[in-house]
Amino acid sequence: MEGKVIVVTSGKGGVGKTTATSSIGAALALEGKRVAIVDMDIGLRNLDVVMGLENRIVFNIVDVVLGKCKISQAAIRDRRIDNLFLIPASQSDNKDVLSPAGVERVANELRKEFDYVIMDSPAGIERGFQNAIVGANEAIVICTPDVSSVRDADRVIGILYSRSLTPKLVVNRIEPARVERGEMLSYEDVLEVLSIELLGLVPMDEHVLISSNTGTPLVLQNESKAGHAFRRIAKRLNGEADLPIEIPTHKSSMWKKISKTFGFK
Amino acid sequence: MFSALFKRFTSQKPSKMAAKKRLQFSLIYDKLEVNDTTLTDLQNDIVAVISKYFEIDKDALELKVKRDDNVSALVFNTPILQVKRKKAS
Repeated sequence: MEGKVIVVTSGKGGVGKTTATSSIGAALALEGKRVAIVDMDIGLRNLDVVMGLENRIVFNIVDVVLGKCKISQAAIRDRRIDNLFLIPASQSDNKDVLSPAGVERVANELRKEFDYVIMDSPAGIERGFQNAIVGANEAIVICTPDVSSVRDADRVIGILYSRSLTPKLVVNRIEPARVERGEMLSYEDVLEVLSIELLGLVPMDEHVLISSNTGTPLVLQNESKAGHAFRRIAKRLNGEADLPIEIPTHKSSMWKKISKTFGFK
Repeated sequence: MFSALFKRFTSQKPSKMAAKKRLQFSLIYDKLEVNDTTLTDLQNDIVAVISKYFEIDKDALELKVKRDDNVSALVFNTPILQVKRKKAS
């Protein structure tokens, strides 16, 4: 059976696309699936450092598409998580070296060898983004609860629909305390604005920066709330569609509970 | 708790309400934005169709997207110079 090619995209940069891609990919591998994560941000590669595999790069996705090497030569095996592979981006080329036809061909080859191929799209909606979505069967849109991110997500969702892809949404960096104070859009607000299927909710988490500092997978850190959320997202992607979506909360004090009961919020 | 009470009595709306409203408006307007190429292509197509039936003043015509609070409309305005007689086929 052929695997699925899933593109992770957001429009706006800096909303956690790379973290989401590496975490969802790693979590799917922990579910026992064979996973390839592909960095499609040609010229600005980052997944390799985030995943702690930067010292082991020999070939990259551009080499694969241009036929300079085989997929197996470019795919770096993660030594901590079985069945997890990274195909890094090229750092020296620019986005124009890849043709959509070439990327689509490689995506189809990858599907034969892996259960899941996760494409990390570059920010923006230009050539690099178009290349990242060309071979995809499914799409995940990442946004944070701020106006610029939600607006860009809406634009990207529109483009994905026009390519017959029905994206699912992950709301990242939710700060429950601020949502409760009315300082931050709630996930319901975001969903209402975007009207799209929800895949998961990820809380703001200090562990994300720490795990990227050391290049260790977030999903292996049991105390990480974001890692936990990404593992649930992977489970939901991997057939457990009924797994409830956990809503990030913060420990509320007695006073807050009382005030909530009396309708002060 | 006390800030919540304060806000309640001063009826200060939480900033997320503003964020949501502004987002909803901007997304609607974003979708109504038509780029110049599309508009020119559309104008050429409309002119081609109308020219089959009428002789029109191509220099005087105008094509605009009009936006109101609730609806937006495509307005095409052209002077007709002459009705073309259909040739007997």
